[in-house]
Amino acid sequence: MKQTYLQKENHEPGLYEIRLKGHLDARWEEWFEGLSIILDNDGTTILWGPVVDQAALYGLLRKVRDLGLPLVSVIQVDK
Amino acid sequence: MPILSTKLYIPLPRTTIVPRPRLIERLNEGLNRKLTLISASAGSGKTTLVSEWVAACGRSVAWLSLDEGDNDSTRFLTHLVAAVQRIAENIGESAVGALNSPQPPSTESILTILLNEISALPYPFVLVLDDYHVIDDKRIDDVLIFLLEHLPAQLHLVIATREDPQLPLGRLRARGHLSEQRAAALRFTPGEAATFLNQVMGLGLTADEISALEARTEGWIAGLQLAALSMQGHEDIPGFIRAFAGDNRYIVDYLIEEVLQRQPDPVRSFLLQTSILDRLHGPLCDAVTGQADGSVRLEALERGNFFVVPLDDKRSWYRYHHLFAEVLSVHLRAEQPDQVATLHRRASRWYEQQGSAANAIRHALAAEDFARAADLVELAWPAIRRSGQETALLGWLKALPEGLIQCRPVLSAGYAWSLLAGGELKAVEERLRDAERWLEPAADMREQPEALSAEMVVVDEEEFRRLPVSIAVYRAAHALALGDLQAAMKYARRVLELVPEDDHLPRGAAVGLLGLASWTNGDLEAAYCIFADGMANVQLAGNISDVIGGTIALADIRLAQGRLRQAMRTYKRGLQLAQEHSESVLRGAADIYVGMSELLLQHNDLHAATQHLMRSKEQGEYTGAPQNRYRWHVAMARIREAQGDLEGALDLLDEAAHLYVGGFFPNVRPVAALKTRVWIAQGRLSEAVDWAREEGLSIEDDLSYLREFEHITLARVLLAPYQNNRTNRSIVEIMEFLERLLQAAEEGERTGSVIEILIVQALAYHMQGDIPAALVPLERVLTLAEPEGYVRIFVDEGRPMATLLEAAAKQGIGLNYVRALLTGFGTDERWTPVSQVMNEPLSAREHDVLRLLRTDLSGPDIARELMVSLNTLRTHTKNIYDKLEVNNRRAAVRRAEELDLF
Repeated sequence: MKQTYLQKENHEPGLYEIRLKGHLDARWEEWFEGLSIILDNDGTTILWGPVVDQAALYGLLRKVRDLGLPLVSVIQVDK
Repeated sequence: MPILSTKLYIPLPRTTIVPRPRLIERLNEGLNRKLTLISASAGSGKTTLVSEWVAACGRSVAWLSLDEGDNDSTRFLTHLVAAVQRIAENIGESAVGALNSPQPPSTESILTILLNEISALPYPFVLVLDDYHVIDDKRIDDVLIFLLEHLPAQLHLVIATREDPQLPLGRLRARGHLSEQRAAALRFTPGEAATFLNQVMGLGLTADEISALEARTEGWIAGLQLAALSMQGHEDIPGFIRAFAGDNRYIVDYLIEEVLQRQPDPVRSFLLQTSILDRLHGPLCDAVTGQADGSVRLEALERGNFFVVPLDDKRSWYRYHHLFAEVLSVHLRAEQPDQVATLHRRASRWYEQQGSAANAIRHALAAEDFARAADLVELAWPAIRRSGQETALLGWLKALPEGLIQCRPVLSAGYAWSLLAGGELKAVEERLRDAERWLEPAADMREQPEALSAEMVVVDEEEFRRLPVSIAVYRAAHALALGDLQAAMKYARRVLELVPEDDHLPRGAAVGLLGLASWTNGDLEAAYCIFADGMANVQLAGNISDVIGGTIALADIRLAQGRLRQAMRTYKRGLQLAQEHSESVLRGAADIYVGMSELLLQHNDLHAATQHLMRSKEQGEYTGAPQNRYRWHVAMARIREAQGDLEGALDLLDEAAHLYVGGFFPNVRPVAALKTRVWIAQGRLSEAVDWAREEGLSIEDDLSYLREFEHITLARVLLAPYQNNRTNRSIVEIMEFLERLLQAAEEGERTGSVIEILIVQALAYHMQGDIPAALVPLERVLTLAEPEGYVRIFVDEGRPMATLLEAAAKQGIGLNYVRALLTGFGTDERWTPVSQVMNEPLSAREHDVLRLLRTDLSGPDIARELMVSLNTLRTHTKNIYDKLEVNNRRAAVRRAEELDLF
């Protein structure tokens, strides 16, 4: 049962919120493949939007890593 | 552009650097461990630190800067070896040879070769893998795990990465093998920040200002460096620091904007425009920016600490620090979105002028200028074909829009060939049709009017002119690979109609393919003549390595014709040709030695046969054609079989099956049938019967040359039960089947098969107890086999054949030859009738042990006599007891006497 659940998660698009430390300019939206950039007044940024699958999610996290942006959290939002 | 050398370039420590003695000291302490891991985010100063450290650590240094392309384990290993070769030139040559073979051996065996060579080095060295975070292929992590597990004392490994590698770090840490420096250690301390800002960058800041910057950047070096660049020439430094410290924005974003604002326009646009390049070079930058001062600018940027990394000593090539380049390119896209494609197109044009097709194509694709990319690919195609780089070509073609390729016949045909070379047979036909459409527009216009709405595009007129010929050659090869002989011959003949007498290469290819088709049909004499003619043309075209490869086919055909001596002459000629053209000697000679070995084995010269296989290995096991690699293992299996080591033979045959690559040569002796023959010798009949069922073989089958070897094997499988008890099929049916096989082989003049079928017939009569009937085929086979010096084909049959030969000798049949053959049995342990009573015959060594067991010698004495340890002797005696189904020495001797084993 758990297996089926996981597989479904791996292959279906989901909405994600990736929270980073520091504010990102709107020009980064294209870089992050169209995710919306939301600035929180606690000095963090939320990248929000649909992510097609796990591979795409890891690709995004890698981009975050390559900019040296400190990662605060990653959550999947219920649809 | 010297990509490889820039990847292996050891960055020189900068002169304007912040000394970091505490880190260097810790790193030096870690030198006696296996691995140093520098794991910290982008812009933490990892590369700078490592280059400063290794320059003064007192050891030789090998450096490899990784990039995404290294996610291919072959490429990674190639680069790894190249890096090590910088400190010890002769290391890793055989590893590289193995890697470049089309069927490389396991990564572990390649690494073992390399590590053995490293462990022979007289001095220690450091190997640095920089930017390891780009690696996300598990196989490469496995390479490093293996490396660390078997690390020679000479080698200290350093990994610099933005994320922890997938290695067992916990275990390495616990065992004291790991020395690591992480983000917290790399961060500038307030003291280091002060040195950097005031001494290196000459800013003259107060302690408070420094501490504010240090707090805002958290000692992150890239942040501090950018901040320093922003402040240079700034009128209000305290104001800048206040604003910066109070801002939440992503540091790099904020600071790059600041930096760019402070630059004069030409510098600013230079930085933005050249951010599309992954490597920077003065003239290349000029081509992209339309300015003329690229080299000067790059030098100035380096001097000004502008995140420019030199890639060679001459300051000819640079790159931007990755982080800096990424942020710059985002700014470029935001500010001048329309410019991006133009810049890439300019870069593409510059690379084209430099003759660097791959880079020109890459930038054209990045510019989404697909027409240009297609032009470039079309022009690059002949060179790609010559160098065999069809994989790269496939990658580019798959990035191009379908419609664009379809209206380019030269490109479509090149696509077809690349697919054929890559074994993607299914998609070949469609591409060939795309190409052909443009050759006969009149016919197609009626059928597909919409298809010709696009214009035909041809860049390479010469290739276009040759297209009908090229397409026909590809079609012939495609059909042959699919086993469609009719079509293969049709297209090959079309090639011959199309090309003039003196156009040797396509003629040779077409004639050669015709020869192979005849061979596949079992029409051997014609096949030999035609194929030899084809090779003569290929030789005239100057393609010697193909001619040497072709000798294998010619000798194989001769072997099937039962002309062993001519086969040997063919091989010798091929070898001579290889030696005359010593540049290609490696390619074909290894395969020729294997062929010679098989012939020598047939003459029962096991020693020379083995030696030739060793010689083949010396040539470089992996320098032969990929389609021939399995042959070495088949040849060795047959030698093992001749030595009585049937299990060893089976292992080798399994390996051969694993290595088998179907080519354009017919597979006339399938490995599965060879295995079945060994099973029969072992008495494993149910496995043999399963094979026949799985292959769908039956004695009612229509006969064809392609299945001849399997059909003869089938007859042997069906006859095997008669040796013990009489069951199953009526022997009459099997005899009829053999007669039918014989007729077919005789009609095709395939004397090799005729000889074996006659032998099986003789054995079948022998089984039925009818010696006079057996002598009829035997006498014929002796006449056929004697002039060619066949031995093994008789000796392999063991005791029954010996009995028959003795009977023949008594009647005065083939006296000298038969006597010689009977001596051949003398050295063969299967001379003894064990196979009928024992599940597994004793090996020669076990026979030796058995003979000594019969004496009064004690165990230790026997061991001494045989020059083995007592343990080994126990293994031998245990095996003997198992085989004889006894459990003590006296019973073993008695049983052996019963079996007439002495």
